[in-house]
Amino acid sequence: MWKTWMKFATAALLLATLAGCTSSDSSSDEGTEEKKVSNYPKNNITIVAPSGAGGGWDLTARAISKTMNDTKLIEKPIQVENKPGGGGAVFMATFATKESNNDYMLMVKSPPILINHEKAEGNSKFGYKDTTPIAQLTRDYGAIVVKKDSPYKTLNDMLNALKTNPQNVTLAGGSSPGSMDHLIGIIPAFKSGIDLKTVKYVSYDGGGEAVAALLGGNADVIATDASTIATYVKSGDVRVLAVSSSDRLEGELADVPTFKEAGIDEEFTIWRGIFGPKNMSKDAFAYWSEKLQAMVETDEWKSEVARNGWQSEYRNAEEFTKYLDQQNKIIVELLTALGMQK
Amino acid sequence: MTTLQFLADGFAVAFQWQNLLFAFVGVIIGTAVGVLPGIGPMSGVALLIPVTATLTSGLPTEAAAASSIILLAGVYYGAMYGGSTTSILLNTPGESSSVVTTLDGYQMAKQGRAGSALAIAAIGSFCAGIIALLGLVLLAKPLSSIALKFGPAEYFSLMLLGLAAVSGLAGRSITKALIMTVLGLMIGTIGIDAVSGIERFTFGQPTLFSGIEFLTIAVGLFALGEVFKTILEKDNDDGQIAKINRVFPTKQDFKDSMVPIARGSFLGFFIGVLPGAGATLASFFSYITEKKFSKTPEQFGKGHIAGVAGPESANNAASGGAMIPLLTLGIPGSGTTAILMGALIMYNIQPGPLLFDEHPEVAWGLIASMFIGNLMLLILNMPLVRVFAKVIETPKKYLLPIIIAISFFGVYAVQYTTFDLYLLLACGILGYLFAKNDYPVAPLVLALVLGPMIENNMRRALTISNGDFSIFVSKPLSLVFLIVAVSWLLIPIFMKMRGKNVIINEEE
Repeated sequence: MWKTWMKFATAALLLATLAGCTSSDSSSDEGTEEKKVSNYPKNNITIVAPSGAGGGWDLTARAISKTMNDTKLIEKPIQVENKPGGGGAVFMATFATKESNNDYMLMVKSPPILINHEKAEGNSKFGYKDTTPIAQLTRDYGAIVVKKDSPYKTLNDMLNALKTNPQNVTLAGGSSPGSMDHLIGIIPAFKSGIDLKTVKYVSYDGGGEAVAALLGGNADVIATDASTIATYVKSGDVRVLAVSSSDRLEGELADVPTFKEAGIDEEFTIWRGIFGPKNMSKDAFAYWSEKLQAMVETDEWKSEVARNGWQSEYRNAEEFTKYLDQQNKIIVELLTALGMQK
Repeated sequence: MTTLQFLADGFAVAFQWQNLLFAFVGVIIGTAVGVLPGIGPMSGVALLIPVTATLTSGLPTEAAAASSIILLAGVYYGAMYGGSTTSILLNTPGESSSVVTTLDGYQMAKQGRAGSALAIAAIGSFCAGIIALLGLVLLAKPLSSIALKFGPAEYFSLMLLGLAAVSGLAGRSITKALIMTVLGLMIGTIGIDAVSGIERFTFGQPTLFSGIEFLTIAVGLFALGEVFKTILEKDNDDGQIAKINRVFPTKQDFKDSMVPIARGSFLGFFIGVLPGAGATLASFFSYITEKKFSKTPEQFGKGHIAGVAGPESANNAASGGAMIPLLTLGIPGSGTTAILMGALIMYNIQPGPLLFDEHPEVAWGLIASMFIGNLMLLILNMPLVRVFAKVIETPKKYLLPIIIAISFFGVYAVQYTTFDLYLLLACGILGYLFAKNDYPVAPLVLALVLGPMIENNMRRALTISNGDFSIFVSKPLSLVFLIVAVSWLLIPIFMKMRGKNVIINEEE
């Protein structure tokens, strides 16, 4: 018994000494960072996907970890952890408080980090300002889609129908009101001065069910991501009225006008990016900025992006933060018009 | 003719040695995933995607996609075989789709008929798998267009029919069953409402935003409830566990389960085709139907073999049925099929209307491999029955800690939160109290599954119709379901009033 206790005590003492070393190391770093190369990372790194396995956040986190380790850009093993709950809100609370100084924990996120913080219901107390945005990595766009035999040939046809008789147009999407699909769907109506509270929105459980509702005639228009709808365009089942990008897309959707071309002066990107903790150290921040910039240029990353059907779009920390500010404004504007703002 | 030709090509793909190996590995992992609570088919498949990606990296894209989807689908339907094992032996459902199997399966195990129950579950799963595959081969296209016609109004009425059938799960008292149903419906409202986006009963706690996890409640009420009962009532009488007389089902067992297997297979297949309905619902519907059609409904809940055969066939058939919307429409009907779809997209193969034309070897190779995989599972599972059945002979003092550990491990693996562990514990205590006072827990669990679906679909339908309730009777399919639901409730009462001697549910 005594022996075991002694072991414990020795271990604890060792740990304490080690901890002491690390803390004194990092404090000396801050003074000499200009001259000396930083010694970040010393420990293994964790990237958190605040959802279950298999979703977009999870796949992105795994793609980053795989590319970084395969290309030896980062030698330390990168572990991916799933922290599901509340559409990301549960982990967001931990990330912004308990982990706010942890340089070894990063998070993958997308527009819900803005939306969940700004909307009144089910909101997350913490937003992107409680993190350190490091980089945007991929993008997708929203699409306004109707069935092939729909009377609406253009976005304007649909908007006119909405203006004259909003009761006859059912808009559907794969997520709850006030979330991404809904916001994409109402941008055109909002910009044409239609009272958003008259627009009927039916939420389904995921984009797939929304497409099923459209094909089965249970919805007149749906809002979804441009990347997933392409196959239905190819098979001739649906018609895309407009996409939310700034320039025309390539591939199946090359003939589809952008919002701007359809007379709607707005754009919306479904971006995915990586965030550090709020009080991330300068060393860690510089390290990740540099490594991510290098990563997006590698063939391994490009093949990961292609394999998952994503579009690569890189913004560095400064551009990304500016972009977030701008997108946040749009979201607040839309939520306010819906009466769903915080 | 062309279908047969394609199927033959599919078998040519499936019989390549590496694909046979992939199917075999898939079904073995699937069985393990099914047996362990917590690691459900969904997380099992998700975790294996990177592994298969590495394994198939040397092959050309099409072949790699075919091989990896063969393995991943093997995990999916393999889990449906394995899910029944812990339900029957330990009263601990391995998957949500096996919850209803605990009702009669565990009772059979207590009577020393664990071997029969396990064997029938495996045989039923096999028959259902084959029936679902034949349906997939022959009816994929027409069924997918029918599934699309299922709008919110039709779903609402179908789910209402399910709820009306709750009386079939009642024990001695209908009133108590209804109390439990309402309790389940109430728990189902917790979380962010999917239709309005408004928080309900979350008290601002982010943990509650996505609602209460069904599996936590089910494992708590069934498995931990049983554990508490054994401990608190000093149920140490080991003589109660009868020795296993035989491992294989008797002739009578086969006779009793043939019809339920057939019915469960068809029912499960059609429910599986509907996106969003799922295997859990299929197994519940099958159980209720079996009880309704049975000549001896009073035997249900006391170890009736039809109560195992029907649901276990249904959940397996549903997993086959769910392949139809996935492959023909690109619409995943459940969480697991959504992940399978993600796996295909990773290989640049988009499931959907064009899959059968653009990538026939992937689609048909998968279908053919499922025939082979189901056969493998049957051959694999029958000898295992003998091994698993021994578990029940383990003395209680060893068995109980194992059940507790499996329950906690399982729930944590799904939810990753300590909140759910407390909830699990609370449900265990409640489960004991409910059972002690004759409150049946199955209606609560069913209502928890159905409640949110009923509510969301009703409100979706009403949004579409601008608040006009006639949408539920003006749609023919919906009307049919409503009529069946009403007659389900009224006919027995009516016949009783006419003086006919029918067993409704003997009220005390």
